[in-house]
Amino acid sequence: MKVLAYVAQKCTGARTCEVTCAQTWFKVQDVSKSSIRISANDGIFAAEFCIQCGKCIEVCPTEALYYNKQGIVLLKKDLCVGCMSCVGFCPYGVMYFAPEEALAFKCVACGQCVKACPSEALKIVELDEASTSVWDFRF
Amino acid sequence: MITLNKRERLEWQEGLTVQALLERKTFTYPHIVISINGIVIDHDAYAETLIPDEADVRVIHLIAGG
Amino acid sequence: MTEKIIRHVLAEFAYQAPKIERGYANQTLYVNVATGEIKAKPVSEEMKFKFTGGKGFDLWLLWNAVNDNTKWNSPENEIVISSGPCGGTTQYPGSGKSLVTTISPTTEVITDSNAGGHFGPLLKFSGWDAIEVQGIAERDVVVIVDAIAGKVTVEELPDAPTDTHLLGAWLYDVLAEKPHEKYYIAMVSAGTGADHSLLGCLNFSLYDRKRQDVRYKQAARGGPGTVLRHKRIKALVVRAKPFRGDANHPADPERIARVGADMQHEVATWDPVQNRMRNRGTPYLVGIMSDYDLLPVNNFKFGSHPKAHDINGAYWETRLTQGLPDGCWYGCTIACAHAVDGFELQTGPYKGQRVIVDGPEYETIGAVGSTCGIFDADAILELNFYCDTYGIDTISYGNTIGFLMECYEAGILDLEKTGGLELTFGNAAASLEILHQVAQGEGLGRLAGLGIRKAKAYLIEHFEADPQFVQDIGMENKGMEYSMYMGKESLAQQGGYALTNKGPQHDEAWLIFMDQVNNQLPTFEDKAEALHYFPMWRTWFGLCGFCKLPWNDVVDPKNSKSAEPAKIPHHVQNYVDIFAAVTGREIDINDIIAMSERVYNLQRVFNIRLGKGLREHDYPPYRGVGPVTEEEYESRQERYDKQLREWLGLDPDAMTLQEKMAAHRKYRTERYEHLMDAVYERRGWTRNGVPTVEKLKALGIGFPEVLAVVEKHLQVEG
Ligand code: SF4
Repeated sequence: MKVLAYVAQKCTGARTCEVTCAQTWFKVQDVSKSSIRISANDGIFAAEFCIQCGKCIEVCPTEALYYNKQGIVLLKKDLCVGCMSCVGFCPYGVMYFAPEEALAFKCVACGQCVKACPSEALKIVELDEASTSVWDFRF
Repeated sequence: MITLNKRERLEWQEGLTVQALLERKTFTYPHIVISINGIVIDHDAYAETLIPDEADVRVIHLIAGG
Repeated sequence: MTEKIIRHVLAEFAYQAPKIERGYANQTLYVNVATGEIKAKPVSEEMKFKFTGGKGFDLWLLWNAVNDNTKWNSPENEIVISSGPCGGTTQYPGSGKSLVTTISPTTEVITDSNAGGHFGPLLKFSGWDAIEVQGIAERDVVVIVDAIAGKVTVEELPDAPTDTHLLGAWLYDVLAEKPHEKYYIAMVSAGTGADHSLLGCLNFSLYDRKRQDVRYKQAARGGPGTVLRHKRIKALVVRAKPFRGDANHPADPERIARVGADMQHEVATWDPVQNRMRNRGTPYLVGIMSDYDLLPVNNFKFGSHPKAHDINGAYWETRLTQGLPDGCWYGCTIACAHAVDGFELQTGPYKGQRVIVDGPEYETIGAVGSTCGIFDADAILELNFYCDTYGIDTISYGNTIGFLMECYEAGILDLEKTGGLELTFGNAAASLEILHQVAQGEGLGRLAGLGIRKAKAYLIEHFEADPQFVQDIGMENKGMEYSMYMGKESLAQQGGYALTNKGPQHDEAWLIFMDQVNNQLPTFEDKAEALHYFPMWRTWFGLCGFCKLPWNDVVDPKNSKSAEPAKIPHHVQNYVDIFAAVTGREIDINDIIAMSERVYNLQRVFNIRLGKGLREHDYPPYRGVGPVTEEEYESRQERYDKQLREWLGLDPDAMTLQEKMAAHRKYRTERYEHLMDAVYERRGWTRNGVPTVEKLKALGIGFPEVLAVVEKHLQVEG
């Protein structure tokens, strides 16, 4: 199963990924619609995005969330009732919500940000190659 | 003697901890706030915290709904 | 389904669902099952402002539908169901409740009950803020609100079963053309127990997508299921269209999402280390209540039992199915609507079937369990299941059986009178046998099905029971059986139970810990203030479509540093935000109290209009106040003796047991009278418990027909 991976040392904080993601999925520049979020702390960058752990599938009451064959967690929009259970229970805080359409959204490892990153800080890799240290467990 | 929740008078003995008091009173509700002479005691410190004689102990159960 | 289903349409009404605006459909549905009249009634801005929705709408519709002489079984009595403007919100836990109101067969005044399940929200999404059903049908009917077909029908379905678990499975199959359509169907039903007793509850269904089965939550108090079946209605059904999380068309979806995300995260963070509602549901309370001497045991004689720990929260965590999103409405991650799956029934008509037992709830465990001296989990589950499918309120049933058990042990009943049942505390088989008799309208089931108040009258008339004794031990007030908390050592809770509108259900106020344990309400005025604030606060949930549990069953510990932790200010603010964000109406806590006061006072006046609702109706049985029997006194002798010393300056050692009990009784009953005075005053009522004209006018409900009701009484009081 392939996931998105991030190399903090290479990141320059250009945030091209955030804009690309919002543009790809919501056709807007507004980075609150991005499924990847870059933060900077004392010049050290960190990224947050979904690692396809599947916890949200368990808490979804509508069967809207599921694993596809590639091991990516996807959302069936026609089943989602916008209940935010997944948003609150995502261990990494990387399930997001679009209030105006009342739908959850997340990184589906589409790779658009990988192509757009000017410093090659992002790549799509096999899960076991990805270091999870960048994610902050919330509970 | 100590006073519990401004009402009940309870025997005091040397070495009485918050934990021991909770057990004696079978205060098993998980969501409580305890203060001794006005100072709130940390949840993790119940086993070590000693209650002095003549203490004003408050064990407030945070529940207003069954 | 292959066989042809017979559907006789008796009445039909075509409609187009309006767009929901800011939580309202702006119309209500009227259905008369006798005449076949079906119509839409507009909802005015004034109605929204004054009565909000939910129970407020229910009461106002019912007030206008009945007359002063209407009884529970009069054709003009109605069942009214409404969720409320915030009902159907999916982003905030506990926003899908339905409120049902009717004139009760046991209390003979207004009863209201809330339930989860999908009916109320789906009814609204299908275009109706409320449904009122009037009339008595000639034959059994089903009322179907079909938003997909754009019509409301009253139909005869001769093949429809009556008991809920069969009816649900059958109706969902009949109505869903494709499997996915089941997601959007909800029904309200009772069962054969409601046909033959006054204790009928309503089951509100939901389709559980993970289990792929129909589940039920109960609106049970005061016999609404009996009214439904008396109208010869098998079910009220809504068949809705698929919907999104913005179906309420809220004024400010971003504000809802912000508050919703915070609360969802709060539940995720704190529930595992607090009540563990997600794993245990309300049964988490069983062991705790026993530890504090608050769990009713043997008809409320005692407050604890060593065996309570066999059926405590930790036990239920091993018994309830884990890991499923058991919210009774979407987005409720408190998820207390647990179940035991694959339970094999051991008795009755469905013996051998493997079923889902919805629950048990704490109240059910207390009622069919501990207060009957029963601590056997399997028996409790079996009683729970049959009560539900027969359409019987577990609380009233269990409490009535506990009462009859004490009557048996006291010699009022004997083997002959019970038809050979040895009705001692702890006899689960006997309780199950009586439950099946209730459903068949036979034997002792007919007596038990009356509820405690009417059973008392029967025992006095036919079996020479001592009226004072049965009055003392029968745990009912206003004709409603008590819910499952022991109030003997909390005066405030005695009021929380009996100074209520519908009767002793703890949904108005639950003050035991604040009062008895924490000593935060030392004076009569403190108690009166709490008996004003909390009933009003909690009434508001039922106006909006909210559940009370997420308010205080999980709480960020930072709350303990707030000014009034018992009120949980940051959650109050969440509700203010959600209400404003849905309706566009900015409010604060004072508005909340005022919104509730209007409805609460209307309900009080309604009860007076129906011939009750006065001081004389607000007295608890002495069993709920102090020790009735020597056995009770002796079981807690140390406590009671100490109280005689501390409260009354008496020397118990110099007194006989009878003298001590008499001293307690005098003191405790006088204290209760004081409490009544203080509470009535705080609520703006006379000493007889009548809302004053000024109060009603100030609340904006000084309608002539409302004032006319109280004026009669105020003249008498002078
Ligand atoms: S807390 Fe329980 S009863 Fe309340 S809405 Fe959630 S699941 Fe339903």
